[in-house]
Amino acid sequence: MLELNDVHSSIGKHEILGGVSLRIEEGELVCLLGANGAGKSTLFKTIAGLIRPWRGEISFEGEVISRKSPDRIVRRGISLCPEGRKLFPRLSVRKNLMMGAYTRYRDKKEVAETLREVYDLFPILEERSEQDAGTLSGGEQQMLAIGRALMCRPRLLLLDEPSLGLAPLVVKKIMETIEDINRRGVTVFLSEQNAGMALAISVRGYVLENGRMVLEGKASELAGNEEVKKAYIGA
Amino acid sequence: MSFFLNQVIIGIQLGSQYVMVALGLTLIFGILDISHFAHGHLYMIGAYLLYMVMVLGGVNYWLALFICMAALALVGMLVERAVYRPLRGQPQINTFIAAIGLILMLETLVRGIQPKALSVPKPIDKTLSFGGISMEVQRLIVIIGAILLITALQLFIKRTRLGTAIEAVAQDREGASLVGISVNRISALTFAVATALAAAAAVFMAPLAFISPEMGGVLILKAFVIVVIGGLGSIKGAIAGGYILGLLEALAIAYVSSAYKDVFAFAVLIVILAVRPTGLFRGRD
Repeated sequence: MLELNDVHSSIGKHEILGGVSLRIEEGELVCLLGANGAGKSTLFKTIAGLIRPWRGEISFEGEVISRKSPDRIVRRGISLCPEGRKLFPRLSVRKNLMMGAYTRYRDKKEVAETLREVYDLFPILEERSEQDAGTLSGGEQQMLAIGRALMCRPRLLLLDEPSLGLAPLVVKKIMETIEDINRRGVTVFLSEQNAGMALAISVRGYVLENGRMVLEGKASELAGNEEVKKAYIGA
Repeated sequence: MSFFLNQVIIGIQLGSQYVMVALGLTLIFGILDISHFAHGHLYMIGAYLLYMVMVLGGVNYWLALFICMAALALVGMLVERAVYRPLRGQPQINTFIAAIGLILMLETLVRGIQPKALSVPKPIDKTLSFGGISMEVQRLIVIIGAILLITALQLFIKRTRLGTAIEAVAQDREGASLVGISVNRISALTFAVATALAAAAAVFMAPLAFISPEMGGVLILKAFVIVVIGGLGSIKGAIAGGYILGLLEALAIAYVSSAYKDVFAFAVLIVILAVRPTGLFRGRD
């Protein structure tokens, strides 16, 4: 479904990704492990079109997307829920979600259905629908960010560190919801520092270090790998 | 008392003009972080276009209003595309210099073609009077026209998908790109709306004063005062700030001296910024 081939990208003059290749098949839940500064967010931003790779190729469902603008990529079916959430703090929860469906304004009925599904996934968002996004707690904001990313009905959902800064209970709830979203047929690519949790719900995983993929394998194998344990699980 | 009320009406009318110009500036600032100093000169172009369409072309005033708004909307998009977009992501000073360049170009161009100040006839040349208050109909047109346009703008921003997209880009540019909003298109749209508003202000005001190549200069300074007083990027702030400045000016003219009216405007800026450095309202709402 998604294929990256020797992708290089830079922020300013600094090369962050030095040749990343990976493959994600339809229906998979794949996790991306890596320490702070390994390049996880840059990788996601590059897939989403916010950063243009200067070498290499990204293709989605057989079509090269590495030269497309972010709005085109959203229309193709990839949605990124970014690190730091990037919500619209002074718009209401409902308006934030409706902006998530910005590209689908023609089918009002289907958008209403998706909104219903998102509210079912996160009932708290329906309770808070008229509140400004900026007034929500961290966990609620993360739910809103995931909900907003789902509003465009993506076939591939990229989640960049959804557990960052959240209480363990909230993290658990969010991880369960991610599994649930995946079961409903959305392919998920998830980046995490919290490796134990991420590996527990994923099928496969990649490990990114200094802008290069250093390991790849089944989630169960990675969870048993001594280096992974040492570096990312802290056992 | 009736003298005072007359001054208040003049103040509201002055304020209406300021609000229409300042709203465009604040929208552009909120979205693009650009201090669009050439906005006042686009206002001036609007007034000259009115002269061309109405006086030279013989078109009805109200039709000319729509022609000027539509034409200036296009000019605004052109300015965004040709002057500001290429400079995006560069230091503020570059945008600033580009704006100054545009100001000089427009002003010299107009002065080269028509150096004399011109006047435009009033569409309804009457004065209403009731209970000691007398008011030219044109002033009423400015006041009511501004209220209608401000309301329309508010409805557009709060109730429509594109309007909400403008707010979304202002609040989080990256988040906006990620939901599929084309930031370039929204920038162009914002410039179109802002410049059309300035054109409307010019068309409303032109029959009350002479039009000249430098008419945009002082106006843009005052509009900036308003945008800063109101809290950079705040729509409510621009509306409140515009009317406050108009009223202060009218009262200063009436009770102090017309020569000092601009002294008042800028003194108010300095005082408000000393007391509340972030402006009266929180920006970018």
